[in-house]
Amino acid sequence: MAEYEVRFDSHPEPIRVPAGTLLVEVAQQAGIEIQQPCGGQGRCGRCAVIVESGQVRRRSILRLSKADVEAGYALACQTVIEGDASITVPPPEAIQRRLTTDHIAPEAAIPEGYDASRAQSVRRVEIQLTPPSMDDQTDDWGRLCASFRRETGVERLNASLDQIRQLGATLRSSDWHVALTFDTGQNGEARLIRTQPADAAADTPLCGLAIDIGTTTVTVWMVDLLTGQVMRQASEYNQQIARGEDVISRIIYASKGNGGTELREMVLGSINGQIQTACERAKLATDDIVKATITGNSTMMVLLLGIPADIDVGIAMNSAGVVDPLPGVASYVGADITAGVLSSELRSSDDLTLFIDAIEEVWIDGGTYEPDCRVIGNVAARGICGSGLISLVAEMFLTGLLDKGGNINETLDTPRVRRGRHGPEYVIAWAAESDGAEDIVIARVDIDNLLRAKAAIYAGFIVLANSVGVPLETAERVLIGGSFGKYINVEKAVQIGLLPDMPWERFHFLGNTSVKGAYLALIDSAARDEIAEIASAMTYIELSADNTFYEAFTSALFLPHTDLSRFPSVEAAMA
Amino acid sequence: MSIEIPKDKWPGAVQTVTLGATAEQGGTRTKVVTIGGEQTLPFMHFESETPNRPVIAMEMSSSRPGGWSQVLQDTWGDVLDDPAKWAQACEQAGAELIVLMFGLTDADDNPITPDFAVQTVKAVLEATGLPLVVLGPGQVDIDNAILVPIADATKGERLVLGLCEEGNYRTIVAAAMANDHLVLGRTPMDVNLAKQLNILMTDMGLPRDRIIMDPTTGALGYGIEYGYSVMERLRLAALQGDAMTQLPLMVNPGFESWKTKESKVGEGVPDAWGDWAERGVHWETVTAVSLIEAGADVVVLRHPDSLTRVKESIDELMAAEPV
Repeated sequence: MAEYEVRFDSHPEPIRVPAGTLLVEVAQQAGIEIQQPCGGQGRCGRCAVIVESGQVRRRSILRLSKADVEAGYALACQTVIEGDASITVPPPEAIQRRLTTDHIAPEAAIPEGYDASRAQSVRRVEIQLTPPSMDDQTDDWGRLCASFRRETGVERLNASLDQIRQLGATLRSSDWHVALTFDTGQNGEARLIRTQPADAAADTPLCGLAIDIGTTTVTVWMVDLLTGQVMRQASEYNQQIARGEDVISRIIYASKGNGGTELREMVLGSINGQIQTACERAKLATDDIVKATITGNSTMMVLLLGIPADIDVGIAMNSAGVVDPLPGVASYVGADITAGVLSSELRSSDDLTLFIDAIEEVWIDGGTYEPDCRVIGNVAARGICGSGLISLVAEMFLTGLLDKGGNINETLDTPRVRRGRHGPEYVIAWAAESDGAEDIVIARVDIDNLLRAKAAIYAGFIVLANSVGVPLETAERVLIGGSFGKYINVEKAVQIGLLPDMPWERFHFLGNTSVKGAYLALIDSAARDEIAEIASAMTYIELSADNTFYEAFTSALFLPHTDLSRFPSVEAAMA
Repeated sequence: MSIEIPKDKWPGAVQTVTLGATAEQGGTRTKVVTIGGEQTLPFMHFESETPNRPVIAMEMSSSRPGGWSQVLQDTWGDVLDDPAKWAQACEQAGAELIVLMFGLTDADDNPITPDFAVQTVKAVLEATGLPLVVLGPGQVDIDNAILVPIADATKGERLVLGLCEEGNYRTIVAAAMANDHLVLGRTPMDVNLAKQLNILMTDMGLPRDRIIMDPTTGALGYGIEYGYSVMERLRLAALQGDAMTQLPLMVNPGFESWKTKESKVGEGVPDAWGDWAERGVHWETVTAVSLIEAGADVVVLRHPDSLTRVKESIDELMAAEPV
């Protein structure tokens, strides 16, 4: 097949590729990062590059105007090389994301009455062996096992060949005084994780990780397994965002070429980067990390584990350590939910409780504008964040700028309501008032997106409540998980019909329940068993197969709801 | 042995709506049409009387319609080129209501203007004494540009103006309110969406007795079951007391059935399909009667023979003896 040379403005060497190679792949070979928020489907238009010269074929020009194409623009994910070409990659969009979790220190208290020596499955024991002699010629491994049995009462210890190979040297260099780290496991069979000289072990903590992989954020807690104390908490954006902002885009990207491997490396980058930082700060080696529990939605788990490819998980930790991906229920109810149910203590409560853990992802899909900075202090506005969008739409609705269908009232006498590229829009901040070159606006499409998201969530509540035969209003508690939840203004969320209209004191924000569940499973084997029980005891309602969902959805596709009697406080506010 | 038939007593009733206004009422119509008022499901005469018969409207256009079946063109002949004559022909055929559709262009293929639209409506009003429904071509800007001057020029006639849709209702509702007209709201085959549009329009202050809803339907063999079910559920909600669904229903079996292959195509189809013209009328009639049974208050037809046959069916349905 013919090969061609592609030159990039920002790269000294031309790249040789076969005819028909996608521009994004060429860029990748050159080490040039091109964002593909829609997962390379040609939907978002954010991977546009300029073809300065040469022959390319644009398979799709969706989102590009005729003038754009004439100016040389092409979608990198939809354009193939058909001759030598010279490409300019515009500077990446300066998207400033700020983690809401940066500023939240989730309370991570050790559970009351916690006793690591009983609850923790990973243990470390010091063993003083008798050196071999003429009278006792047992081999090293047999000698270790016999002492281990005497010391712990555990019948059987399993180890890898590699661990046994290194054993001899460790035993002799430590003068037969070693510390064994092992996982007690089940059925009286323990698994060896690490053998260290005893005096070296005295200075090293026994570390574990509770990892929560969200579509948006990856959270890592580092835990001292000897006490259960959380040593460090950190959150990062999931690097996979660059290859798809939502779950569906990422599934599509993963199914193309080696997209799955790339996504896996990206999420590992997000996880391991945090682990490296934590280890440096705490002066630890990654080998000191001997156990990890992982939660996340089903897609995130599968992308991490590299299913169906058969490879190591790849977490930066002791390679013989325990990696425990926690169980989920079904495609849409992953380990993030089972872990959330565990940490929210839903099971032990007699109250009828609605537990919500979907909200974070909604905001990210929320509009044509990236969820961005909030206006804090006197800083100029740069965009609309998710919670801001809710408050804004609620206010616009109550003041009559929006009708109940979410239509912007164009008959109002204000310059802020105008016709934009995507139909009617409302100017939130003029360019002069904001931090950018353009006015910050909310357009009909943004409102529609929010309406659809909130309608889907509310419809989910209704279907769930109907399926157990109780009216939604009778829920005694509403527990809201997700780091974003902290910022939701309950009043505004009720006014747009996102949350059910009930007394505010029933709402409780729990923060990241998923990572808390992973933490509990990490430090307490009984909690780990409980997650498995939760997963098997949960009844899963498949909304897409439920014939009442669509009805509930369209009735919720209104402000606040087609049936206003469901929202008495909003009805009163409008009167 | 005698059987006692259980009777339902519904808490709600459909709103009564009057189309058209006579000289005493501020208009120029010689006939008005009153629809709605049902207090039970269609033709359950033993439970409650049906105060108003379903009404048959005939559809006509501001100029010769491009996509109409040859069967229809042959039937109507030259009147298709003259809205006034076409309206008269509809009345003579037995129509109780005229639906005037505007196309995007006039007979010479020029874009329609507000002035052309007003003149056309006036010509039709002069040619017939029947009440009139006036529908724009379905493009927001053009609809608004012609319907506002039409509403102004015909103040007091109680015309029905449309289409109001979820994203474009404000201008038309305001024009109707200012000039004593009615509006037709159309939503895509969904109970909630129909209800939502009614809420939006009444929120503007438009009284309920000036709204008719078109919930969208399909032709026989082309989704009629779905449309039927939506109409039935709307009517059940109305009878159960949901005020925002208690509005009369107007549907378009003529438009729906005459775009099906069976009605539109006469050549290259199996012999077993029979006579083309007869088939088209059958299709329209069965579609219309089915929708009447679902609760339609107005059916809009295209073929005069269908009108005769649907009228017979309505006579029979209305005459059913109370138990």
